[in-house]
Amino acid sequence: MEAMEVDENAPQLYVRTPEDVKAIVKHAKLDERQLTQVTQALYYPSANIVADNLRLLELDSHMLHHIREGQTLHFKGGLNEKIVLCTDERTYDVKGAEISNSLLLVPDLKFGAATSTSPLKSPRTGNANASLERSLNDSTEDDLEVPRTLEQRSVLAVFHEYFECREIKPRFRKLGELLQLTRYSGPENEYCIERKVLFSYQQLLDTVQCSRAQFEEGLRNFRALEFDGHIRVLEYEYEYRIISLMLGLISENSWALDEVERGETISALKGIAPEPVVTGLFDIYTIPSERCPGQFSYQESLVARIVAQNILQPGLRFRNEEFMRSWQEAMPEGMSCEMQYLRGLGICDSEGAQPCIRSLAEERLPTNLNDRMRDLFKTKRKWTLEEMEPYIECFTTPTLSVSTLLAKNARSLTEAGVRYYVSKH
Amino acid sequence: MPILVKTQSSGTGDWAIIELQGDLEVRSNQDMHDQFIGDLYYNKYGQPILIIGHHILQGREQKLEKPFAVLEKSKSNEGQRLLDTSIATQDVSLLNATSGAERTVLDHTIAQEHKSRQRTEYTVRAVCTKKLIFKSRPKPIIANVAKTV
Repeated sequence: MEAMEVDENAPQLYVRTPEDVKAIVKHAKLDERQLTQVTQALYYPSANIVADNLRLLELDSHMLHHIREGQTLHFKGGLNEKIVLCTDERTYDVKGAEISNSLLLVPDLKFGAATSTSPLKSPRTGNANASLERSLNDSTEDDLEVPRTLEQRSVLAVFHEYFECREIKPRFRKLGELLQLTRYSGPENEYCIERKVLFSYQQLLDTVQCSRAQFEEGLRNFRALEFDGHIRVLEYEYEYRIISLMLGLISENSWALDEVERGETISALKGIAPEPVVTGLFDIYTIPSERCPGQFSYQESLVARIVAQNILQPGLRFRNEEFMRSWQEAMPEGMSCEMQYLRGLGICDSEGAQPCIRSLAEERLPTNLNDRMRDLFKTKRKWTLEEMEPYIECFTTPTLSVSTLLAKNARSLTEAGVRYYVSKH
Repeated sequence: MPILVKTQSSGTGDWAIIELQGDLEVRSNQDMHDQFIGDLYYNKYGQPILIIGHHILQGREQKLEKPFAVLEKSKSNEGQRLLDTSIATQDVSLLNATSGAERTVLDHTIAQEHKSRQRTEYTVRAVCTKKLIFKSRPKPIIANVAKTV
């Protein structure tokens, strides 16, 4: 395509006139009566307009809604991280897309409807209304000719690239690793903690690649709590000790499981652990009681996990029934332990003569999918999909499910009607 | 440090995008600023018609499935929320040592992030929800009268 210069020798700028428009319409054999009244003449941007700081960002409906509401979006990413874009709730992967078409960005350009004084006609379709429509159309065609107006429009910039976004799962690993550096295990051990790697809520939120809502969720997953202005996670043994003391109050006070008192729990632990730790833990581990307003009940899954974690130290393995027995014994009365609570903490290995439970913590596995697969198959030869899921799901994306990941990185075989996954090599 | 993308709930107008197949080029290497490109018409059905030089293009008005936001990059000089200086000078080796080789490379990220205090900001200037797309090949206009076109 060529932008034709009408007078190539003229140094002064050419400005389109209504006469030019009339002439070109005639040359193009367009019927003026079939055109709407406004012609818009397009120009390249002026020299004084700087447009290289403009970018096009493709939006989905969620982002559009946020922008329309005037909310702020964030680009996040460190030196060695791929950048992500966060709204308040979601996280997006951002990629530059190059196209061979040109996108001309034109502020204030009028679309069809805005250039016509009468409503636009709909294209003739063979539906029942066609004849009615035609008669309406015919009547407007006889309208008196409305004078043509000419408006000048400047293109602001021409793009051959835009940024597209794909929603992704929040990337929590960095959060976990940063919190790992300063696990809290009581005031007496604080002297060992490197103060420089203690982070405040805002510092972590700024650096972790996820939205604010997801960040909150991540903190809950890591069972992180805030005290002295820093976000901390607790050493497992320490957490277990405090939780056991808190749970002990249930039988001590003969509370029902859904009659736990917050105030009493906190005052009972005064002097044993710092108050922010106790209140923080209490709020993480309990939910408001449904039966008794103002009272709370502990979440069985969380209690079961911290108890299991305490028994199932890294590297250990237990006979199945033996483990279940000691697990159940360590739980408060009325709470039960189920295999599903071990998700991501340990696995059931039934390959040997004795089925046993062994520790396999998700957070201790390699972050690279290949390495992790190798480690997993080293720990256990064959896996079902459900068994592998907790260890693989952090690699999934909306388009890449656990089974597709396994199809790519493992070999599947069926034994006695059960599908297993084994190492590829 | 996150880079902010600011939006104004009121000030974001609707801008348009005209999509052309290929590129606009001029014969000579002249300065294109303020130069005339072409005329845009609509027929009574709202179909856009673009005449560029002696070429005519018939297009279509299309709602963008995924609208575009026009972001403008700006560098503000006022120091925004300055972070704790202790963070800026934190020990990188410590992070590496504790995280171990197999873990995510935490390396400079945090330290660098906090050192280079970003002052870059983006503002959403406008949102484009509709475009005019000219997909077909341009057709030549042949004038009856022999005039220089």
